Amino acid sequence: MTNQEPMIRAEGLYYAYETEQNAPLPIFEGLDFVVHKGEFVAVLGHNGSGKSTLAKCFNGILVPDRGRVLVEDLDTAVEETLYDLRRKVGMVFQNPDNQIVATQVEEDVAFAPENLGIEPKEIRRRVDEALEAVGMSHEKLSAPHNLSGGQKQRVAIAGIIAMRPDCIVMDEPTAMLDPRGRREVISCIEMLRKEYGITVVLITHYMDEAAKADRIAVMDDGKILMEGTPKEVFRNVARLKELGLDVPQATELAHLLREQGADLPDDLLSEEEFVEAFSKLVSPGKEQTTQPMPSLLDPEEIAPSEIALRSEDLSYVYTQGGILKKPALQNVSFSVKKGSMIGLIGHTGSGKSTLVQQFNGLLKPTSGKMLVGESDIWADSKKLRAFRFRVGVVFQYPEYQLFEETVAKDIAFGPKNMGLSEEEIKRRVETAAKRVGLTNELLAKSPMDLSGGEKRRAAIAGIMAMEPEILVLDEPTAGLDPKGREAILSDIRRYQKESQSTVILVSHSMEDIARFTDRVLVLESGNLVADCPTRSIFSAAELLERIGLSLPQVTKIFERLQKMNYPLPSNVLSCQEGADLLKPLLGL
Amino acid sequence: MLKDITIGQYYVADSVIHRLDPRTKILLVLGYIVMLFFAKDLVGMIPAFLLLAAAYLLAKIPGRMILKSIKPILPILLLTGVLNLFFVKTGQLLVDVWFIKIYEDGIRHALLLMVRILLLIVSSSLLTYTTSPISLTDGIKRLLSPLKAVRFPAHELAMMMTLALRFIPTLIEETEKIMNAQKARGADLESGGLLTRVRSLVPIFIPLFVSAFRRAEELALAMDCRCYQGDTGRTRMKQLHFGLSDLLAALVVVLCMVLVMTMPRII
Repeated sequence: MTNQEPMIRAEGLYYAYETEQNAPLPIFEGLDFVVHKGEFVAVLGHNGSGKSTLAKCFNGILVPDRGRVLVEDLDTAVEETLYDLRRKVGMVFQNPDNQIVATQVEEDVAFAPENLGIEPKEIRRRVDEALEAVGMSHEKLSAPHNLSGGQKQRVAIAGIIAMRPDCIVMDEPTAMLDPRGRREVISCIEMLRKEYGITVVLITHYMDEAAKADRIAVMDDGKILMEGTPKEVFRNVARLKELGLDVPQATELAHLLREQGADLPDDLLSEEEFVEAFSKLVSPGKEQTTQPMPSLLDPEEIAPSEIALRSEDLSYVYTQGGILKKPALQNVSFSVKKGSMIGLIGHTGSGKSTLVQQFNGLLKPTSGKMLVGESDIWADSKKLRAFRFRVGVVFQYPEYQLFEETVAKDIAFGPKNMGLSEEEIKRRVETAAKRVGLTNELLAKSPMDLSGGEKRRAAIAGIMAMEPEILVLDEPTAGLDPKGREAILSDIRRYQKESQSTVILVSHSMEDIARFTDRVLVLESGNLVADCPTRSIFSAAELLERIGLSLPQVTKIFERLQKMNYPLPSNVLSCQEGADLLKPLLGL
Repeated sequence: MLKDITIGQYYVADSVIHRLDPRTKILLVLGYIVMLFFAKDLVGMIPAFLLLAAAYLLAKIPGRMILKSIKPILPILLLTGVLNLFFVKTGQLLVDVWFIKIYEDGIRHALLLMVRILLLIVSSSLLTYTTSPISLTDGIKRLLSPLKAVRFPAHELAMMMTLALRFIPTLIEETEKIMNAQKARGADLESGGLLTRVRSLVPIFIPLFVSAFRRAEELALAMDCRCYQGDTGRTRMKQLHFGLSDLLAALVVVLCMVLVMTMPRII
């Protein structure tokens, strides 16, 4: 489908951001970039590498200081043709909520064609077609705020398709979505390419999404550092890691084995490719090594004095207008051991968020109990507040709760509410800030002046400063780039080791769960369906698939290998572990 | 929970009234309200009452919805009634106990006013029950658009209403999230005197405003990318058409108006 005719040409771009006090901050200094017609280009790079700025140059939201951007033959700097150009190059942003204009799905999709002054009948046709294309026809009369994230993002895409653009530029369209939403949006993009031959520019932090592209461009510091097919780009494992980027796990696994001298190709992207290459080197065994399926409801025996948090037959039913609605949690019982690191997984709507709000008494159980140590948190509702300091909860996107003039004051908000002395507050703020790597210089700044990752760390420090016995983090890495994700997770790990406290990590990312937790709790439609060591859950591919979470690629590879009768376990958690298991088979 | 608040009070049903052009409904309700003020006597209210009752039946709106719309104004209704009862001092003296003196005109006047307010509220509720917020804004916009000649920003006003309707649920959800987050940090939102309570709202409102501005900025960008240029050259997917039923509805209301104004004289 790709031909060499250019769709967008950026020639010798110079662009600098105006800053309030200092000299303009240069982003591009002579950047060239071409997007060809019908092509699917993925742009990778950590936050601040200039990817979003480049995207905004493509449809004239930003106009370069020097150099030019041409869309076919239209220059983005020419005012008169700006709307012709925007019709050709549509743009989808990260936050689906902030792109939807109307109170009804079909009205929203009609927004752009209406702006273009198209005939009502034709608009109707385009709206129906666009909604059909993204699979949202059945929701055309719904109110956007009642849709899931993935659905909203598909409506936003339909709103762009209704303009009949030649090219869609997407700026991290899946960053705020759960795994199911991400899959919906990605298959939507693939369909657009197949059915309409639309040119797609996808800015993303997810390597599995980039691996589907025709071409990848890696950006750093306003420059294109690497360009080529996914195979050509991802083979530079060491270089990409240096830039703070990930590679697909299949590539990484092969890379680790190659370092040990294995004769595997360096451009393997998918699990199929890896398994095929591996089976050429090593022939499988005769018989399948069957592993007994570990029990998923395998609660740990914990001495009563060692229990940090306990849920006893807890149920919660949401009420609406005095009428009981569908139960959000049903007879959930579990215990969490002091000093452990627990993963809580489940899809959006599984009751996970409801359970998190039970941990610190933001919601009161309809029946059953939630206990911190030995004490029922609802025994005396006047003393409830004290439990909020013992169970510190970091909600999703916690940076939106920052409000004080300085970061230090904001971190002090929790300790101050505890009624601690000035010196103690000071000590706690300093310790917490150090734990998340915030410098004194940053502490004196306004929270609004920090970068996204820094804000997130400041918000987490605000909870850590209360020095809770139990720290609960709901999706602490959501929306961050790989570097930011890594930094936050290792901060949490270090905090847990140093403070010896209990940590509960709520996450959609099975990779993070695999790397950081000892045990997991799994919720499915309000029921606790698993309470077991983390490794056991990686044998339960079916369950994970059912609840909309997917196994890490490396686990999938081992699952295939095991099915092909290789004497290997299937529940492998990390690339390093996988490499160690494969080495003996390769005779290394 | 904050989320339970429903925006607007649109009652989903399929009826003749629901299908009327929103412009017709707005104008007729306005006309109806004006008519209520022309009726000088309770007798004159009879056709007005019958017309509204018939409209509610046609619209298939259950009685409890009517009660729901009356409930919040009940105190005002009673207060008006009582005040008029005591302060109109013409006509025949009916009750004279201690300092309470009630005259015939007082009763008549109080009843007339109460019925008037009641019908006013119930009739405007009929408009919001049977017209979705979208078509309501659309209707208002179309009705105001002749005023564009005198530079009245009809389109902008309608756009603002639409965006407000779109984002109110989002911001309510956000408020709830921020409240939870601050409560998790031990913020005490429930106790203390007035000043403490006002102060305890700072950690809620600052993040809410910051977020609202961020959303506004992103939304403006997204609208720009979808070629929004204000009202210039803009068409609409859904066209409004006056139909036969609109004409009939208008005739019925006009007939009623004539009746209301002539009724007391006939009897």
